[in-house]
Order: sequence, then C-alpha cells, then structure tokens
Amino acid sequence: MGNLYHNKIAQWVVYVAFFAALAIIPNMVGDSFLLNQFATYCVYGMLALSISLCWGFGGILNLGQGIAFGLGAYGMAMTMQMQSQTESNPIPPFMLNNSLDYLPLLWQPFQSTLLGLILAVTVPTLFCAAFGGIMFRARVSGPFFAIMTLAMLSAFYTIILDRQAYTGGVNGLTPPSAFQFAGVEVDPYSPTAYWVVLFFLTGATFLAKLITQSSFGLVTQAIRDDSERVRFLGYSVAGYETVIYTISGLIAAVAGCCWVMLVQYVSPAQMDVGFSLSIVIWAAIGGRHSLLGSILGALIIQGAQSYLGDTFLATWLLILGGFFIVVVRFLPNGLASLLEVALGLLARPDPTSSPAPDGGRPLPAE
Amino acid sequence: MSGLLEIQRLSKSFDTTKVINDFSMEVVEGTVCCLVGPNGAGKTTTMDLITGRIKPTSGKIIFANEDITAKHEHLIARAGIGRKFQVPAVLRDMSVRQNLEVAYSRQTNPFRNLLKFHKPGLTAKLDEVATLAGLTGRLKERAGILSHGETQWLEIGMVLMQEPRLLLMDEPIAGMTESEIEKTARIFKDLRKSATLLVVEHDMGFVREIADVVVVMHMGSLLAQGSIQEIEADLRVRDVYLGEQEVA
Repeated sequence: MGNLYHNKIAQWVVYVAFFAALAIIPNMVGDSFLLNQFATYCVYGMLALSISLCWGFGGILNLGQGIAFGLGAYGMAMTMQMQSQTESNPIPPFMLNNSLDYLPLLWQPFQSTLLGLILAVTVPTLFCAAFGGIMFRARVSGPFFAIMTLAMLSAFYTIILDRQAYTGGVNGLTPPSAFQFAGVEVDPYSPTAYWVVLFFLTGATFLAKLITQSSFGLVTQAIRDDSERVRFLGYSVAGYETVIYTISGLIAAVAGCCWVMLVQYVSPAQMDVGFSLSIVIWAAIGGRHSLLGSILGALIIQGAQSYLGDTFLATWLLILGGFFIVVVRFLPNGLASLLEVALGLLARPDPTSSPAPDGGRPLPAE
Repeated sequence: MSGLLEIQRLSKSFDTTKVINDFSMEVVEGTVCCLVGPNGAGKTTTMDLITGRIKPTSGKIIFANEDITAKHEHLIARAGIGRKFQVPAVLRDMSVRQNLEVAYSRQTNPFRNLLKFHKPGLTAKLDEVATLAGLTGRLKERAGILSHGETQWLEIGMVLMQEPRLLLMDEPIAGMTESEIEKTARIFKDLRKSATLLVVEHDMGFVREIADVVVVMHMGSLLAQGSIQEIEADLRVRDVYLGEQEVA
C-alpha cells in the first residue's frame, strides 16, 4: 500500500481545501487592517512557492529571488505613481526634488496602466530568461549559481539606491493613491484586494503543481537527481533549468506587483539580501519539496514574526534562528516531511517488513 | 559499405598525454561490434568522445552520414545514440518506473513537455522494456535500493526506452551472475535485428558469444579488427591483451 502523502488525488484534495479555507477568511475577519496583513502573507506564500518550484523541484538554489520580486514591485509602483500624475503635473514630485524637470524615457511607458503592468511582469521574467540562459548554458550550477544570483541581487540593489532621480533612491516610491484598474479603485484594505492576491497565489500554485506532475516536472526532477545523466537521454539540461528558473521568476514578479498594490510602497529594502534569504528559509522550514509546505512555511514564519515578534522583540530573531537550526538538523526536508513520515507509518503498519527508514523516501536531502 | 558510425583519425590529448592516437574504426548497421583492449587503452574515452562528453583534439566522428564531432551531448543523444555507462548511472532518487519514463525521450522540448501528462506509446514500451529487463515487479521501488545486477539492467532498459539506432554499452555485464550474463547475450543478439550495438567488454567469453566484429585497442590506437576467430589468432593481440588474460 502506498503512502497517502504521494497520492496525487489526495494532494489535490488538500490543495483545494487549503485555498477554499483561505478564500473565506474575509467573511470571518472584520478587521480590514488584519485582512491587509493576511493578504501580504499570501504574497510571501507566493514567493516561497516560487522558491519551492525552483529549488525544491528544479534543484536550483536561488538566493536572489528579490530581483524578480523587486523589479515587479518597482514596475507596479511606477505604474501606480503615474496614475496619480495629471496632464498639468506629469512629473512625480521626487524627480523634481532631484532636479529632474522632464519625465525620463524609462518612465514614459508607465503612463499607460496596461503597458505598465505588462512591463512590470515581463521585464523581470525576461531578465530571468536571459540571466538563467547564460548561466545554465555555461553549466554554472549548485553553489556557484547561488552566488551569482546573490551578486546580481546586490548589483540591482546598488543601482536602484544610486539612481535616486529615477528610482527614488533609499526612500523608494510611495504612490499616493490606491491602484486603479479599468476605472475601479482597488482599496488595499478591502476583501477585493485580498481576493485578487489569493487568486494569483491559487493560480500560481495550481500551475506549479501541474508543472511538477507533467513530463516537464519529471525531467526537472531527473536533472536534480543527476543532471549529467539526463543530457545523454537527449534533454537539454540548460533549457529545462532556464524554463523552470524563469517560471519561478514570473511568479515572484507577480508577487511583487501584488505586494505594492497592498502596501503602496517599494524601496531597495525589497531587494535586500536579507529578504531574499528569508524567502529561502521559509521554503526550507516549510519543506521545499512540497509547494504547499513552502507556502505554509512563509505563512507560519511571517505570522509568528508579526505576533511573537512584538512580544519577544529582538529575542524573536534568536528564536527564529534556533528553530531554523533545529529544522535543518532534524528535518532536512522541512515540516512537510513530518506529515510524509507520519502518513508513511500509517501506510506500513508492520514495521518489521518495511525496508530501511529512508527506503520509501523518494526525495533527496541535498 | 559505409558504416552507421565512422570514426576517422580521432585523437585526444590531455595536456601532453595522448590518450587516443589517430584511431579509426567503423560500426556497420545491424551488427554487434565489441571494443576490447587492456586497461587504459582508451575504450571509455572513445565512448566519451562519441557521445560528446569530451571534445576530440582532432579527427571526425560521423553518425548516419552526419558529422557529430564535438556536438552537445543531448544533440548526439537525439541523433540516435544511447549510452550505458561503465559505472551504472541511474537516477537513484526516482522510482524504477520514473527512470524508464524519463528515458522515453521522444519529446525533448521543455515547452512542449510543460503541461504534458500523457505520452503516446509509453505504456506499451514501458511494459515491453520492463519485461525484457526483468524489472516488472520492481517498478515502484526507488532505483537507489536495487542490487548491482538490477541497476545494470535498469540502465540497459533506459537505453532501450530511448529507442536509439546505436547503443553504446560500457561493460554491461560487470557484476552480473552467470545466468544474467546468458540472458544479456540473448537479448543483445535479439537487439541486433532493430539496432546496432557497440559494446566495451573485458569478458572474452561474452565477446565470443555476441560479437560480429571485434576491434582491439591498445595505447589509444587500433591494434586489430576482425571476426573473433581472426582476433584470437592474431599474435599481436595475444601479446598485449589475450595472453596476459589467459594467464590471469
């Protein structure tokens, strides 16, 4: 008898139930501030999902997911900023403060909301395709690729900080009014905003789940296992790695747009190395081999940070660090593996006839 | 008669060491060709050169009238060359079934595979190969827990799933029992009807059993080529290779 954890139908049932539960939250939570906070957790969930797809399934450790997230966020913030500029006042105030008296070419497409949104999503995605394509074609992999993403993230951080007249520098961008789409204002504290974000999280998760279960997913798992061997089966390893890295970047870019819609703010802090590392930590604690586990990791850690962080103040970081060490040491595949082991024990009631404890575990600890 | 695979004046040097030295051979379609020679003769290096794992210093490799010299591994594999490695290389963390499924690589385009859940012809092919390889009862197992012999069979099965025109087998019977070797020999002879085989092997008994043509390598060069009888009668071959084996 198989482990229920690996049963595809059971997985889908759990996924649908999880998102259905998330969808009814606005009906139970009256506090609009709290609802806005829950929506930002969903954005973090989307980021953890993107890392799970790239790292957990594709085996590509990406410490620079802030690039796609940040570029998406800046694109959205630029779009929202331009929405509040008028014919008579076409230049954002921070530019005037930096003695820029014309709208730079970089900003002009964002005068159109639709074009702005398209750019906010396609620019980071195309960047991932180009950067990933160059790296993977040169067979840069493992820790070396992780270091390259880190370096690239720092480069973007520095450029945005430095080009104050174009990016708002360290202050970032603070669009004065809420995002408007097709004449409707999306109030970030409304259930609508929450459902928009949840819609993208759900869509991204289901898409990612389908990808992992498709022929493509099987090949990426094989690449994670032994990329050298897969080449001799006729698959372009670089092609597969680039595609999964790019899809992961696309999800992060959408998350960036959602985030700015909710908080009406973006700054270089979103491209800070620490933030990108924490995305990886969410996925690691939740279980990077499980999409849902990674999302839950983000929700749990960020939720705990909001509430326990206030109680414990600086001690919270120590608690989080300690928790991370415990998980890495005793649950290298994250909290999701607890469920996997538990269901595995149910599936094998007779321990004497079962193979070695790790015999039934299809996923590697890397 | 031109061969399916033609190796023309191939050389490979690592720094100043010549590992393959002006080596030429050809494999005729529908035959089993065995590549033999003492350790360090350059047999596995030749395999690496054919499959694109390493690039030659000079010389040409022609497969099905197409120059495949120094092409990328996956393009050579797609052209129709499947390879079984000397140290069995299976995907240890995946199930036996998944190993065979991945190897069924008719569609290699990542975008076309992105949301593809059904591969036409897979089930029939998988059943056929699993039966042939004796792995029908092991499909759900993780490949990492298979015995050495089963791992060898799984990798042979993977190569068969690729449906290549040319199968490169690097020491396919290493670690197999007597009966497994007999079975392998039977299957290799059977495969010859639909494919061409190039086999690197030390076991002269097995070579005698399956080979149509034997190519002997020594110090990176061609020493002799011919039928098994001709090779066993060749004094130079006895000197550098067979002689020492008979003593051992």
